[in-house]
Amino acid sequence: MILEVKNVRVKLGSIEALKDITFKIEKNEIVALLGPNGSGKSTILRTIFGIIKPYVGAVYLDFKNIEKFDFRQIAKRIGYLPQENPETNLRVIDIVMLGRTPHLNGFKQPSKKDLEIALNALKSVGMNGFKNRKFSELSGGERQKVMIARVFAQQPEILLLDEPTAHLDISSQIEVMELVSKKVNEGLAAIIAIHDINLATSFCNRILMVKDGKIVRAGKPEEVISRSTIKEVFNADVDVKKFGGKIYVVPKMKTRNNKNRLIHVICGGGSGTEIIYKLSEKGYRISAGVLNVLDSDWQAVMDVEGILIDEAPFSPISNEAYEKNIKWIEKSDAVILTNLSVGIGNILNLKAALKAAEEKKMFVINKTPFKERNFVGKEADELYRLILEKSRVFKNEEEVLDELEKIFG
Amino acid sequence: MKLIALLTILIAIIFVVCLSLGPSSVGFEDVIMLLNGKADSNVKYIIIDYRMPRIITSMLVGVALATAGCSMQALFRNPLADPYILGISSGASVGAAIVIFLGIATTFNIMLSAFIFSLITAFVVYKLGETKIGVPIYTLLLAGVAMASFLSGLTSLLIYLSGKEMHQIVFWIMGGFWAARWEKVWFITFPITFSIAYVFLNAWNLNAILMGEEHALSVGIDVESFKRRIIGVATLLTSSSVAVSGIIGFVGIIIPHAMRLIVGENHKKLIPATILFGAAFMPIVDLISRTITDGEIPVGIITALLGAPFFIYLLRRAKVQ
Repeated sequence: MILEVKNVRVKLGSIEALKDITFKIEKNEIVALLGPNGSGKSTILRTIFGIIKPYVGAVYLDFKNIEKFDFRQIAKRIGYLPQENPETNLRVIDIVMLGRTPHLNGFKQPSKKDLEIALNALKSVGMNGFKNRKFSELSGGERQKVMIARVFAQQPEILLLDEPTAHLDISSQIEVMELVSKKVNEGLAAIIAIHDINLATSFCNRILMVKDGKIVRAGKPEEVISRSTIKEVFNADVDVKKFGGKIYVVPKMKTRNNKNRLIHVICGGGSGTEIIYKLSEKGYRISAGVLNVLDSDWQAVMDVEGILIDEAPFSPISNEAYEKNIKWIEKSDAVILTNLSVGIGNILNLKAALKAAEEKKMFVINKTPFKERNFVGKEADELYRLILEKSRVFKNEEEVLDELEKIFG
Repeated sequence: MKLIALLTILIAIIFVVCLSLGPSSVGFEDVIMLLNGKADSNVKYIIIDYRMPRIITSMLVGVALATAGCSMQALFRNPLADPYILGISSGASVGAAIVIFLGIATTFNIMLSAFIFSLITAFVVYKLGETKIGVPIYTLLLAGVAMASFLSGLTSLLIYLSGKEMHQIVFWIMGGFWAARWEKVWFITFPITFSIAYVFLNAWNLNAILMGEEHALSVGIDVESFKRRIIGVATLLTSSSVAVSGIIGFVGIIIPHAMRLIVGENHKKLIPATILFGAAFMPIVDLISRTITDGEIPVGIITALLGAPFFIYLLRRAKVQ
């Protein structure tokens, strides 16, 4: 099975709703049409199903123009789920059975097998206990699952889903997307119009970003989702984060501009992650070091686009890196020493910290007794004692941030 | 299934009861006598040529209005839609009024004119409601309201101008079965049975349309063409009814609703139940209308008196939901 949308242009009234839309989809693929409301996502789905006829270009199902099929033939192969759920008192099973419509003969007498298929579809969405309930009595998530079962009962090759997760709570959103995902793994294809960026990046193989009836970006989630593309398509300011191979976006905090303040963080082994993100949210510029490449604190500094003084993975800090660290400590407005553990490899970071303490700009986060974090011995104990003498010491990240706020705010 | 068997038996009983009751003294024993071939010609006339066509007409009209109402409610996805929603009643009134006004009123002429005018009205309303993308239900509704109001004005004008025939027009509009004759039964039997069969066979698609047009499309139904055909048969049903019995209100709302409460929304069950209940309900109302007083009360008055409270009940219920 292969579905091709080729140079499609559509007019709704006098408005050109789709401008030269072209893409392809094959089985085992979930493609997201991602864009704001009114961008033309629904129109693309309705055009694929043959409800709207393009005035230029065409939709091809296995190389045959979709206009050559009648609705019954299309419905046998394409399962289209419109956005608005019906308001009806029909029973759940009656609704799922409607999915069998394209497979029935003229007199519409469903067979036992049709009933079986419908019941299986209901079961696959975990709603088999609801078959005799009235649709109007179900919750939003339950209704959506029933509608998905209706589409599954159609036994289509392609799913066209228009905002299947809109108005659902988060667990239902995930449930619905997982159902679709599972079905696609069984050999279907799915095109999903969606405006939730994170659901799209988590569940879809490919994202087509739609704006004003055009596809402005197309590709894998990590290729198309970035601050600038989200700004372009949604006109929204977000931060793009990477997590476990997936990417997701969060709203950008509206903060006071602290951009002219540089805070240097001496950290490692994850002890700095929290303070790094929080400083970034408050709008400070950040530098940090010395960190081994791929250390989780290193990752955090990358994320917030701070300045890194780094060293090769698992290597002790070289003199060169140490010197560089000192240089950034001198440039900074304040230095934070996190609750880090100290070993032979990073003892130079304590020496650098002492330097900062002598310059009276050291803030220490001291959560756990140092002897528990000291893997070097007396030398490190002595260094840490000197640092504490000349620094402001805090129990946690919040206290440091408050103090910085008082000084710089 | 139980309900269907029950309603069928009920209809048979109602048929015999209605045949046996009336203002004249002809009763149940006479019906038995007639079956044995022993009745005199007067009794035979009352039973065969007067009561029987009247009962059959009322059954056909009950079925037709109930089924048309049920289809319209599915199509408009509105429980308050009725068979006259496309202005058919006002079209038929104008047709009847013109014939009476022109002084060429025979029972058959009135029937034919009402039938033709109601068909034309529905067609014009449909065309007025048409847009580039098909026939959206709401424009159809607006066109129906506008057309009905125009035609009522026209009917009022004809009533005003028709002087002493005024009474005849008003009485016709109120609706009733007193003028039922075999010729009328023959006239409406075919369009009504054809349309009923069509709706019955398309009950499945009515379920789909109940979900909304986009959903009906998505399961492979050519919605525009289906809508056209359902509007077509509903018009045929309503026009046939109005032509033989004038305007009988509320039947098209009460009956489908009562059945919906009992069998649910699924048209596979709802349509047969509505058909049978329509056939059972109308002869009883007609029986009341012809026996409750010495003369005859138009059926339309009785259904309105029964229907309006029911209508209010439905509205209240809709509000609660």
